[in-house]
Amino acid sequence: MSDSNLEIIVGEGTCGRASGSTEVLGLFRKNAPDANIHSVGCVGMCHAEVMVEVRDNEGKSFMYGNVDKKVVTKILKFHRGEDELPEDNLLTSSDNPETEGGQYLSRQTRVALRNVGMMDPTSIEQYQARGGYKAIEKIIKGGMTPEDVIEEVKIAGIRGRGGAGFPTATKWTFARGAEGDKKYLICNGDEGDPGAFMDRSLLEGDPHNIVEGMLIAAYAIGASGGYAYIRAEYPLAVTNFDLAIEAATEAGLLGDNILGSDFCFDLKIKQGAGAFVCGEETALIASIEGERGMPRIRPPFPAIKGLFGKPTIINNVETLSNLPWIIDNGGAAYQAIGTEDSRGTKVFALAGAIKRGGLVEVPMGMSLREMIYDIGGGSVTDKPLKAVQLGGPSGGCIPESLFDTPIEYASINATGAIMGSGGIIVMDEKSCMVDLAKFFLDFTQIESCGKCTFCRIGTLRMKEILTKICDGEGTMEDIDTLEELAEGIKQASLCGLGQTAPNPVLTTLKYFREEYEAHVKEQRCPAAVCKGLITHTIINEDCNGCSICERYCPVDCITGEKKKGETWVIDQEVCINCGMCVEVCNPDAILVA
Amino acid sequence: MSNQSLEATVDPELVNKWIDEIGSGVPAAVPLLQAIQGEYGYLPRDAMDMVIANSDINASQLFGVATFYAQFRMKPVGRHLVKVCHGTACHVTGADRLNTSLRHILDITDEEEDTSANGSYTVEDVACVGCCSIAPALVIGDEIIGNLTGADAQRVLKKHARGVKEELLGDEAAKKKKEKEAAKATASGEESRA
Repeated sequence: MSDSNLEIIVGEGTCGRASGSTEVLGLFRKNAPDANIHSVGCVGMCHAEVMVEVRDNEGKSFMYGNVDKKVVTKILKFHRGEDELPEDNLLTSSDNPETEGGQYLSRQTRVALRNVGMMDPTSIEQYQARGGYKAIEKIIKGGMTPEDVIEEVKIAGIRGRGGAGFPTATKWTFARGAEGDKKYLICNGDEGDPGAFMDRSLLEGDPHNIVEGMLIAAYAIGASGGYAYIRAEYPLAVTNFDLAIEAATEAGLLGDNILGSDFCFDLKIKQGAGAFVCGEETALIASIEGERGMPRIRPPFPAIKGLFGKPTIINNVETLSNLPWIIDNGGAAYQAIGTEDSRGTKVFALAGAIKRGGLVEVPMGMSLREMIYDIGGGSVTDKPLKAVQLGGPSGGCIPESLFDTPIEYASINATGAIMGSGGIIVMDEKSCMVDLAKFFLDFTQIESCGKCTFCRIGTLRMKEILTKICDGEGTMEDIDTLEELAEGIKQASLCGLGQTAPNPVLTTLKYFREEYEAHVKEQRCPAAVCKGLITHTIINEDCNGCSICERYCPVDCITGEKKKGETWVIDQEVCINCGMCVEVCNPDAILVA
Repeated sequence: MSNQSLEATVDPELVNKWIDEIGSGVPAAVPLLQAIQGEYGYLPRDAMDMVIANSDINASQLFGVATFYAQFRMKPVGRHLVKVCHGTACHVTGADRLNTSLRHILDITDEEEDTSANGSYTVEDVACVGCCSIAPALVIGDEIIGNLTGADAQRVLKKHARGVKEELLGDEAAKKKKEKEAAKATASGEESRA
């Protein structure tokens, strides 16, 4: 049977591949060789990977989720008219857009992500077919001066999406005015925040958009040299971006005399080597120069004296991804989205205890509640949600009671958290806030470059105190000391890493002080997470004596007689509270308290 | 426990080729180290010494950079590397259990050690790999696998080990087949001559 009337599109971002998209793609190619099959970047519904979209020649489209070998057969049978629609796997379709999957997409405003998941990221032709490289053409052939470009971006009102939120046009003006025969533009793709993957998806799913954004920025500031600093942990992003540079160079869009003008821009990839602090501008510059990635004292600011001593602008991946759209549609169109304080859209990476996790782009001003419940579907376990963590190690926790806070810089800052780069971890009552604060301090302590004493030693002291509290050995004075240290570190650190490192502790203390006090006063971890404060015991009446826990216990502390439920015991002296037994126990016969 | 057998033998020509291609100045330090680790899985002391001797990067600069970035590893690595993600989402969904479970099945008991005694696998903690929606996740070879429990992690490891074994046996089998065919060809050649 011919399937030549079908177009089959498989999502192949890192999440998709991790869920088996390559196998699914292969199965379609084998079983429907006549169909027009291709792969695209991640559309953002990571909770439903592997995702497949099928379009027929009647203009109908069907989007399926959680596709595996069996579902591939079902999908093909349906579209060949041999079987019913596989409804369990249908996320949305042109016939019925009001499904949950349809809502996930329709509630979003996709500017930065406009092409991600819609086209083959390795094809410059597809990018151009969707209006790509029209913006740089408009600038060069339409006779826009660099000042015109800066003005347009100023009207748009976009602020840097890397976390700090500095107005992009203002930053450019500094470098535009700086003297120098050579200037650099750097794309900051060192997305080191644990819990954030917006830049990965943008680089993987629409690399030409970032290249074009860099061209626009370089033109505006007068840069002839460019670097894309991308984490080595993102191999697919590096590969796709490399292909994009190659194709753009071949098309005369990179290199000398771009589109026949005297604008020249040479772009290279520099792979990061795993240092969170390199997200900081001066540390990133030091890293490209081949040094340890340690921040430098500002001024001079990079816009005046940056990479190799030349004026340099560093823009975040997401900021750059908005630029072609702004030039195409005009700054006013972008300004119309969002709020007075925060213009445009923001991409978020939703993860944690959420039903529909993934990548979402929403207009600024939407409330956290709307994003978490209406788009994300709320709690995955149906247990009530407790908090969200925004902004990673530099950010903070916002409790459920403040979920009506609008997503904009000023309102988020007022809670004590920060907008950050867009990672959102949703937590239910199974997450311990003290443990989370310890996790982040552990992270910043390791990632501190060591230049400033308060950051180097202060974060270590804070981590030690948090560990003490988690082990049930903390005192009430320890909590005061934490607050005192936090203030000191904020004031006496040179760069953003140290200045924001105490935020996770300060916000959890502000909103979840009772959890700290339960650890200290009652030696109790309310979420039953902290290993020093919990015990695992077998509930005899529920145990069926299957012995699976014995097999998985890493310290051999579970003993009993097979098939005799009542005989099984955990030796508390040996147990390390790792939780393996809970995970494998079928009748849920292990009590954690 | 000693992992002497895992020490790599460094090819000086290769190191010099990288210096030629990537550069010999300080800005080349990170990419040079990435090339070395890409080949050997860690930074063998011999390779570092060759870079110091044959480039403009001095010992303090090179070691300074090597010890600063989390990606670089100074001690030998097992034949296969399992990277357990410890981003925020993975942490709150139980990444610790993946470590416990993998170390248990590989019988790595010494807290300072991350490689199994026979040198087959190394279990390493890494920062966020950016697959937070399928947390907790691990990376084995080039493959990212997500939504894992501790027990799943053991299954993933076993599956990987089976794959490696089959590949090795496959190579063996292919070699034997080739030898057989070659022998046959010689035999038939001799026959026709006869």
